[in-house]
Amino acid sequence: MKSLHSFSLVPDTTAAVREIADRLAAPDIRLVVYFASPRHNPQALAAAMAASFPGVPALGCTTAGELVSGRMLEHSLVAMALGSELVTRAHIATVRHVAADTSAEVARAFATLSDAFGAPVADLDPARFAGLVLADGLSGAEERLMDAIGNRTNIPFVGGSAGDDVKFERTHVMSGAEAHSNAAVLAVIETTAPFEILKTQSFRILPRTLVATKVNEPRRQVLEFNGRPAVDAYAEAVGVPPAELARHFMSNPVGLIVDGEPFVRSPQRVENQSVYFYCSILEGTELAVLQSTDIVADTGAALAKVKAPDAVIDFDCILRTLELRQKGQSNAYGALFAGIPTIGFSTYGEEYIGHLNQTATMLVLHS
Amino acid sequence: MAGRIKSVLDEILRQKSGGHPTILLATKTKLILKGLNPDKFTAASPDDPAVLTKALDAAREMGIHL
Repeated sequence: MKSLHSFSLVPDTTAAVREIADRLAAPDIRLVVYFASPRHNPQALAAAMAASFPGVPALGCTTAGELVSGRMLEHSLVAMALGSELVTRAHIATVRHVAADTSAEVARAFATLSDAFGAPVADLDPARFAGLVLADGLSGAEERLMDAIGNRTNIPFVGGSAGDDVKFERTHVMSGAEAHSNAAVLAVIETTAPFEILKTQSFRILPRTLVATKVNEPRRQVLEFNGRPAVDAYAEAVGVPPAELARHFMSNPVGLIVDGEPFVRSPQRVENQSVYFYCSILEGTELAVLQSTDIVADTGAALAKVKAPDAVIDFDCILRTLELRQKGQSNAYGALFAGIPTIGFSTYGEEYIGHLNQTATMLVLHS
Repeated sequence: MAGRIKSVLDEILRQKSGGHPTILLATKTKLILKGLNPDKFTAASPDDPAVLTKALDAAREMGIHL
């Protein structure tokens, strides 16, 4: 078996899991990944999923919307079983207290994974091993989490930050039979064939730069760009009056540019003369102003470059989902994944090398 | 003194990537996300103590032997 995927719109958690488990029945499942509306009780969901797939590593998280082959969903449970034709073996580990002592907790999780694989994670071949990461979307710790992971391994980790239907109250990650907040779950997957990481965002880079000259990094706040109040400099770079800047946040975020590729940092709100972002910006960082383009067209073009995926796990920013909903493009976006075995969810941040915004990151598996 | 920061960053890239282009770019990205853009430093860059400390910290965190 390569992969099986399914979804359930049944509100009752036990019944929804039963529906999923019936459809994902196979003797050679190596890993189960699932994403669920926070309408499902996370602890009950984790326990039911673990009981339905005994002996199989399972990880999941709460969402702000779900995605399955051909459809964007709300208030659902989506799940994928990865089989022996795609995955040789997989192990998971929980990073507890992720916001308090990130580096030490990641070290503990890596020790667990190293024990499970019988070799240090740092020594695993990054061409054959892929990592998944699901993080509490309200922990504010994703930058440190990805930094700590990246320090310890060359294995590419891709993932997303859990959501809670845009309530911003509490998010959960699930590992085995347990649900956690203030935590992250890591999975390391040995694949049977080369895999791909797809990172796509729908922006063009404008020739206007902003240097963050005064920041409060832990608060993800920029007080000054280019030595001036952040709001004034940002508004001037976008070409709008400062009072109108917030209306342009969705269409004109900023990007850290690496070899022509933007790592998007999305502004969240204006407070006095400062701008808060959905990820931290280091002092001295040079950023380019971005201009939004068409999410459906750009993602379609990105997927077209991928050769016959046997499984896709998509981590798609909630800001992209909200824009698609506003523009009436949700069905068109879901249709991009028709015929591709896919599950995904609308995230509170995307992970690939670092913590990203307004991006879709995907693990693409081949047999 | 000059050039030490460039030297440390180059050594991180060399040891971490082992010459593999994909890992080289990923490592460069990791350094940029730490606030250390290898392209911004040359052999003539002054050894700013704060930046040099940050580069040495990055090397230590990544398990690089200098």
